[in-house]
Amino acid sequence: MMVVPDSGQAGLRAGAGAGDGEEGSTDASRHEDPAGPANSADSAEPDARFTLANERTFLAWSRTALALVVAGLAIVQLLPPFPGVPWGRHIIGTPLILLGSAVAVVSYFEWTGNQRALRRGEPMNRSRLPVILAMTIAIVGLVAAALALLSGVGRN
Amino acid sequence: MTPAEDIEDTDPGLARDRTELSWTRTAISFAALGGAILKSRPYAGIPILALSALIWKLGRLAGAPAAGPGRSRRLLLIAVAVTGVSLVALALTLLGPEPAGLRP
Repeated sequence: MMVVPDSGQAGLRAGAGAGDGEEGSTDASRHEDPAGPANSADSAEPDARFTLANERTFLAWSRTALALVVAGLAIVQLLPPFPGVPWGRHIIGTPLILLGSAVAVVSYFEWTGNQRALRRGEPMNRSRLPVILAMTIAIVGLVAAALALLSGVGRN
Repeated sequence: MTPAEDIEDTDPGLARDRTELSWTRTAISFAALGGAILKSRPYAGIPILALSALIWKLGRLAGAPAAGPGRSRRLLLIAVAVTGVSLVALALTLLGPEPAGLRP
């Protein structure tokens, strides 16, 4: 998780972190977006490096979400059916697709919250996505193993 | 490491480059997905390929100083696009014909 700088260091250096002064701005009222209150007196455009790092984190989660959707789709479309378990592929693939959708939505809200925290110099919330991802993949893996064993027993 | 030793203090352009590369990887991910399903379902593959071109183009703006609303809208587009793709995948999975799967 990215460490938030304190307000006296880099977190609220409006336009100073980039070196060339073109990425940040001292005029916070220009930036009216859901990532932070633009008219708050104690908020300012954060250091561009932290904004870009936050954006890269969001994009990485988006790619993870897309990979989950592709994996779910591939399991349903390409995997041979489990003998004796006609809905086996759907049981494995559908949660992965739903997880991909959830990761895309949650990562956007986490980006918004992190951006707001950066503006205000507050600590960022701990991301819930790693736990959600790990738990879901573990459960899907266990279900897949159980299905493989069941279909193997059914075949023999 | 003290702040003065941070490479980004002396060369802040690397952060922008990394972000642009991240956008490019995201566009490639969309293109790979669109290309993969283009053959079997062109009506779903062509929009995703078009979306990858749009994302690549938006990535070129990532290093620009347009923070705030522009950045927020670009990222919202990504979130909506991934959610839309997952809903299409869900519909194909649950409502589409029963696939035979790959045979060895």
